[in-house]
This record gives sequence, structure tokens and C-alpha cells, in this order.
Amino acid sequence: MGKPKVAFFDFSCCEGCQLQVANFGETLLDILGLIDVVMFREVMSEKSDVYDVAIVEGSITTTHDVERIKKIRATAKVLIAYGSCATIGGINGMKNNFDLEDIKQYVYKHDAKYFETIPTHPLHQIVKVDYFVHGCPVYQPEFVKVLKCALAGLSYVVPDYAVCVECRFNENVCMYDKGISCLGPITRAGCNSWCINNGNICYGCRGMVSNPAKNGQMDILKKHNISLDWVENKMNMYNKPRELDINEQKHKG
Amino acid sequence: MKRIELKESEYIVAPAKILEARMMTAQEKYFKIALEGGVSLDHEPGQFVMVSLLGIGEAPISISSSPTKRSYFELVVRNAGKVTNALHKMEAGDSLGIRGPFGRGFPVQILEGNDLLFVAGGLGVVPLRSLINFVIDNRRDFGKVHILLGCKKPADLLFANEIKEWGKRLDVNFSCTVDKADPDWKGNIGLITSLIPGVNLNPKRTFAIVVGPPIMYKFVLLEILKKEIPEKQIYVSLERHMKCGIGKCGHCQIAQYYCCKDGPVFSYDQIKGNKEAL
Amino acid sequence: MQQFVVLKKENFDAFISSLAQTEKVVAPVSRGYNNFSFQEVVSGKEISLKYIPTILPPKKYFLPTRETLTAYNKRENALNAILEYEKMVIFGVHTCDLAGIQCLNMVFADKPKDINYIIRKNKIAIIGLECNDYCDEYASCCVVENHLPNGGYDLFFTDLGDVFIVHINTLLGEEIVSKAAVFKPADAKTLKLLESLRQMKRSIFKDEVNVKHENLKILFDSAFESKVWEDLHKRCVACGNCTNVCPTCYCFDIIDEPNLDLNTGVRYRNWDSCQNEPFAKVAGNENFRKERSQRQRHRYMRKFKYPVDKYSRYFCTGCGRCSRTCMAKIKLKETINDLAKETK
Repeated sequence: MGKPKVAFFDFSCCEGCQLQVANFGETLLDILGLIDVVMFREVMSEKSDVYDVAIVEGSITTTHDVERIKKIRATAKVLIAYGSCATIGGINGMKNNFDLEDIKQYVYKHDAKYFETIPTHPLHQIVKVDYFVHGCPVYQPEFVKVLKCALAGLSYVVPDYAVCVECRFNENVCMYDKGISCLGPITRAGCNSWCINNGNICYGCRGMVSNPAKNGQMDILKKHNISLDWVENKMNMYNKPRELDINEQKHKG
Repeated sequence: MKRIELKESEYIVAPAKILEARMMTAQEKYFKIALEGGVSLDHEPGQFVMVSLLGIGEAPISISSSPTKRSYFELVVRNAGKVTNALHKMEAGDSLGIRGPFGRGFPVQILEGNDLLFVAGGLGVVPLRSLINFVIDNRRDFGKVHILLGCKKPADLLFANEIKEWGKRLDVNFSCTVDKADPDWKGNIGLITSLIPGVNLNPKRTFAIVVGPPIMYKFVLLEILKKEIPEKQIYVSLERHMKCGIGKCGHCQIAQYYCCKDGPVFSYDQIKGNKEAL
Repeated sequence: MQQFVVLKKENFDAFISSLAQTEKVVAPVSRGYNNFSFQEVVSGKEISLKYIPTILPPKKYFLPTRETLTAYNKRENALNAILEYEKMVIFGVHTCDLAGIQCLNMVFADKPKDINYIIRKNKIAIIGLECNDYCDEYASCCVVENHLPNGGYDLFFTDLGDVFIVHINTLLGEEIVSKAAVFKPADAKTLKLLESLRQMKRSIFKDEVNVKHENLKILFDSAFESKVWEDLHKRCVACGNCTNVCPTCYCFDIIDEPNLDLNTGVRYRNWDSCQNEPFAKVAGNENFRKERSQRQRHRYMRKFKYPVDKYSRYFCTGCGRCSRTCMAKIKLKETINDLAKETK
């Protein structure tokens, strides 16, 4: 059996996750020993319509996108959504906070009539997704972990517990102790608390844990004198399309 | 950081080979397995093993065969997770690893000489079969034997041929029921609890052994207690998620008990009123 | 063997520096914002001698967050048991954390023994450090009787102003002392000072909750159905902080990780928490502790009831970490008092 043919695709996104993959360094060589990359716009000019594994970045924001992702799904045996845009809608989801016509006007001014737009969707709201690699951008070790699962035909379960868990393992000083609020307690782990390790807060880019404790969270906000609006805004930065998640179960991978 | 190889560790697995594998129902697959080098697993009825697949992980699986079969053991695996999913893709001749046997099995010595009432619901027949077949293989050492089986529908019935044989035996009092019948089904219809009142038994010398899904225990135990079988003479086997198998990792804990070490078999008086158990 | 020796404060740095030349030395180091952690040090100056319990207890050295158990090769169908360890000296372990290590020792020596833990433990020298006063309002070391040293160390330092008086508890401790050559035998006066410090501590440290030591277990014996758990349910966000920072929580998960060749790899264990949603889930998706109330109750029972039945010992060391770290400000002392109030 030859190496599986892998194609990278992008939809609405910043292509930063592709950059993460391209920046793997030596690990990339090991990965290339396992797979045959047939399409990867950011690093090569070749193209191919034949592939086994589709690794897709970006969210679905136009009807054209819908058609295209369906075609990719029909071709690929395995579909991996990677990056927040693809897995939870991500930054693009902020659009869903506004009236679509208003936002079109705001962005394109009088050229707005030439564009069509639909609410932002993560991939799984349109097609079946086999693997999720959350994060903005993806955390490289998790991407590799998922890729190994995909190649071995094994499922990958996204951790359904808070970023705090890994943040404790890394023995970071809690952001709340520093007087800074952080979305770690409601965001699902798997990133090895990457941002906090580097002095930043958690922005919730991996999406919420499946059963966030609403009352408890409110309590915490009150204790730390944080307004609900602030958190909602912060959370909506990445997680707005969650509302469209009719079938949240699918998300657990 | 130093890294050395250990000769001894609880996490070492015994290499084993699949002798036979076949689907039993749409979800359950049967495996006949032998440890390499002709080593006997040497288990007690009711114990479990950790099945280890390299690169995938381990899963706790009840041993379904009687220890009287010494050259091999049998497992029935429901496709429900990462490891079991991979197991379902395996066939005769494939290799796997085994840790165990683990846990406290059924108290065979205590059961000897007494009458036995077996009650199995759904997958419960899998671990219970290890004891039923042990009893049948040593039939003379036990008193009366009643076997009550229940499952959702006829297609879910595991070990159908073998069960038919149990039913034919004169030295076994056998009944089987399904929640929902199909046109070919000629047996009882209804919940397993409906079979218990009809059993003619002497509560003083009867031991009841009950294995089934969590939801079943409450109702079955109620019926059995109505029969006035003493609490000490009722045994159940509980299912929890064992990860280490040696009473450390905490996943299988039921209040003060580690299910993998203190169980999976418990007497009813041990866990009566234990809200985490039943 | 001289049981007590003295180290002048001015020689403390020299002691740590010389020790660090031959051994890996870890000790409490300030991380800012009144947070501390055990870290490798090369001199005494880096060490915070006055510190509140570190973010993670020293258990991280005995039971690493991630630890390889076996290494495998699929093609050869081989699996070998692995032990990763590091020889080190932990300096500055408070009595609460010494108690925590003792608890872990009991669990992992319980049959079947966890050989990885046992070997690693024996590679670690422990130097305790006495708390002359409470670290902060979260501690409850007195009610669990951990405010005074109860063994579990090789050497034990007590700050007596200009000097440390050091109790030598083991041969290993004596070796460290004699090698350092800066310790002097303790005279009667210094011993007297230690005696009066302990006397003073008895007046400072008082039961921190409205329940006596021996009644804690009785309280938890009948606490299963308490309404207090419902209150915790409303507040807990299941972030798992409380168990991860607990010196006696030892639950773990076992995970396979293939290398990129997809042929070789390792099986490792990782800290896990009963507070995490999927912890007690079985394959059929049934979750035996689905509610946060059940999970919080389980955590408390694992400190004040289950181990007492099994090992005759409270597994709460009174360090206060769970309360200090809790996002929802669930406080152990409060929970105990609430439980006690309920039974009155």
C-alpha cells in the first residue's frame, strides 16, 4: 500500500494554521515520510483532485463554500478540520453577531451588491468531520497526534475538560491571581495551555467544554468583578457559531 | 532524567494470540484467545483481563469462559470505544497483549454445595457464563441450578446455541425472556424481573448471582429479596471503567471500593445502600 | 548519631550551593503574586524560606504529571516496562507536604505495588522545613495533625532566628550533613529554643474547623446525602484545579502514544481528575458521577472517609491548596463547617 495522499484546503481563514504546519521543522520531514502531500497551496504549486485525506482550514461563509466542502467530503475518505475557523467557526463567527446585510455594507460599502454571504459555519455543521484539531492557530503537537490517529485509523477524542487542568500541570501562576480574567475554566483542553505558558490569557479558541457550569461561572465573574458582557464578547470572539450547533454531540469527535 | 528497563512491572502484558474470532450480534464479537507459550490464564469465574493493543490502548474485558477450559479463554467484546473498535477489526491469528486476570471473581468455594439462581440481563451473560459453565462442568458439586436470561430482542442473544444446550439439560432449570419478540420467537416476552417470582427455590440454601446493566439491578434485586434470599447470599458484578486494573488509577472507584480490585463481584450486603454502586 | 545539628543562617547559601554541585536540588521559589513552586536551584539565595504551599505539591517529583510506563514495538510485538527517574534532593518541604508524600507512599506500596513509584521515591532525598506560624487563612493543618513534624523526611530544618536546628532522621540525612561540613552539633540551649518554639506553636495552631480531629471521620460517615454537595454543585466549574494541586490525589489515565513511524511508541500515565466530566464514564457512555455534586463529594470522601477506613489516616494534609486555587472559591474549611452545621 502506498502512502496516503493528503490534500490541504482552506476556506475563510487567515491561513495561519497552514503556516503552523509548514513551520513544523524536522517533524515535517517525519510526517512527509508517512504521507504524500498532493496539494498544499501555501507550500507548493502542484494540484490534485485525487486524495485520501483532506485537511481543511477555515469556515464556511458563502454558498460557494458549501458546495466546495461537500465536494471535498465526497472525495476524501477522511476529513480533518483544523483550526478554530474550521472546528468552531472561530473569528469569522463574529459576523453572526450582526445582521448580514449590515455587515456586508460595512465591509464592502457600495460594492456590497456583488457579494453574497451566509452565517459563518464550522465544517461539521455542513459535512461530516472525522477529526477535529481545535485552536487558533492549531497546537502543533496536537495536530501531529491527530494525524497519527487518522493514519492509524483510530479515533481522536478532544479532551472534554478545562484548559485549567493542563495549566495546573504546567504550574503556571493563575491569571486570576494576577488580576487578569482568562477563559481557561470553560475552554476545552488539548493545547497544553500554550497561551498561558507564554504569558497570555486563554481566549477560548478551542471552544467550550461540553458541560460548562453556568451558575458557577457567573459566580466567579461576580467575585472577580467582571461583567457578563465582557465575557460574552470575549467568548463570542471565537464561539459565536456554537449557537448553530444543533447537534453538539458530533463535536466531541 | 534516567530511563531504565524494568524486568517487573504491573504494566507488562502477556503476549497472546486470537485462535478464533466471529461476530455474535451486530455489536458483539467473540474471541477465543490463548496466551503464548501454552501458559494458562488461570482465572476465577467473574474476573476480567485488560486487553492491550499496542499504540491504541487497553480495555477491561470480562472473561466469558470457565477456568475449566485451561488451554484458552474466551472474550465477548462490544464495539464501544477506541480499543474495542480496533479489536473488532482483528481476526484469528492476530496477536494482542493480556494483563491480568484481575479482580475478585465469584466466590466459588462458598457457592459449592448450594443451590444457585443465575440472573443475567443483556451483556451480563458474558461474565456470568464463566461461572455457569464452571458449575455445569462441575455439576455434581452444586445443588439445584436455575438460570434466568433476558435481553432486549432475540437478535441480541449471545451464545444462542450454547444457551439452547443449557435449556435442554435436565439438571438445569432454565428460562429466557426478551423485552421485544420477533415472529420467530417462541419463548417468554417481558422483563427479566417477570421470571423471578415463578422460580421454585429454597431461600436458605440458594445463592443468587446477578449480572446485567446498571438499570437492571434495582428491579431484579427487589424481586430476589422478595424471595427471602439472605443479602449475604446475593452476588452482583459491577461494570466500571478500569484503566490500571490494580486499584490505583481511581477511574473505577465505587465509593470506598476499587471495582478492579475489591470487585467487580460484590455481595449485596457489601454494597447495600451504597449509592455509588447500585 | 547526633540527632540534632545546627546550621548558621550565614552558611545556608554555602550548604545549598555545595549540595547543588553534586545533586539536583529543588526548592520553593517565588513566582510572584504570592505564588511559589518547587524548582531546581543552585544556590540558597533562590529559595523562598517563607512560602505558602507551592502551586503543585512535591508529588510532581514522585508521580510526574506524565510518566512513561512501557515502550512498545508493534512489528516485533514487544512491550517493555520503563522507569524514568531522577536522583534529587527536595529542600523545604513543609509538614503538610511531608504528610502528603506519606499518603502517596501508602497507596503505591499497597499491593499490587507500583514499582515505578517505589523506585523513584527511593531516589529522592527529602529535607523538611518547619512552619513556625500559619502560612495563610486557607491552611487547616492542625485539625489533621500535620502542623508538627511526623517523620517522612531525611532532614528537618527549623528556623530559630540566627540558626536552623536540623533533625537528622535517616542515614541519608546524616550523609548530607557530614558531607556539607557546615553543621555543628546542637547545644542544650538551641534544643531548648526548639522546645519553646514547639510550645508556642501549640498555642498558635488551633483546630481550624468546628470539628475535632477524631470526629472528622464521623462527620463524613454520615455526609453522603448532605445538602452541602448541592451547594458545591452550583458553584463548582469542574476545572479540576482542586485535585491537581492536592498532595494526595493520585488518579491517572493511561494513554498510548505512537511515534511518527506508527510502529514504535510509548504507553504513559497522565494525571487525571475525578472532577473532569469524562472521568467515571464507561464505554456505553454511562457516567457514574455525572453531576458536579457527586464529583465534589467524591473528592471530599477521598480525603476524609475512604482512606481513613483503609489506611487509618486522613488524606487531607491541611495544606489548603484546593481552597487557594479554586476558581469558585470553594473552601475546604467552609465545607466542613457547613457539614458540621447540618448535623447539629
